Amino acid sequence: MYYICSMRSRKMYNRVAILRQEKGMSRKELAEKIGVNFQTVGYLEREEYNPSLDLAFRISENFGLPIEFIFSTEPLKPLIEEIIHLKNKLGEL
Amino acid sequence: MSRQTRRLWVIINYLSIIFLLSFFYTGKYLNWTVFVFIGEAASLLLFVFSFIKGFIKTHLWRMSHTSTKNLDERQLQVLLNSLKYSYTIFTIITLIIIYGFAVAELGPIDVVIAGCLLYVSHTLPAAIIGWKEKVI
Repeated sequence: MYYICSMRSRKMYNRVAILRQEKGMSRKELAEKIGVNFQTVGYLEREEYNPSLDLAFRISENFGLPIEFIFSTEPLKPLIEEIIHLKNKLGEL
Repeated sequence: MSRQTRRLWVIINYLSIIFLLSFFYTGKYLNWTVFVFIGEAASLLLFVFSFIKGFIKTHLWRMSHTSTKNLDERQLQVLLNSLKYSYTIFTIITLIIIYGFAVAELGPIDVVIAGCLLYVSHTLPAAIIGWKEKVI
């Protein structure tokens, strides 16, 4: 028997735009590095496209950051807040 | 080119095919008057011009006809989605034409309509991409 399951994809939030700007890269340069069309980078930055796991890993490898630091299913806090939060967490340890 | 402009050129292109067919069958079954001849020529010009503006200049034709190896995962997803829609739309158009000819007892469809259907089948995925996507 064939079961139809309707799995609606969730909105994925990301920090691609801010990280790219911090690195001083153009959309075209990032696109070349991760092997996609530069329009796709635009779609990613506007959070209008959810990348595959492979592409998400390629992006995280390109920025040298863990994947969960770049992508989230919940709205992301500003980078500075995240760093302070991480610092406090490390301080507790 | 904005999405609105792209949509406009797609509509103009498909309308030009309807004008082409209308003038052709008017000439064939009634009379090839000067008016019909000029109408046919104008429709042909509009068809070529709108094809260049709507499909060539926007790179829609290239995107829908390139090898899948040249597309990234998002473009592939967009293309597959457009193929799914165009299959449904093309089937409906073809069935309406075939049944229309059968009901009106016009016999089998002729080479002109077959040619137009061939053109529509080739351009429909590109037209759907142009219609739906914000940026190409």
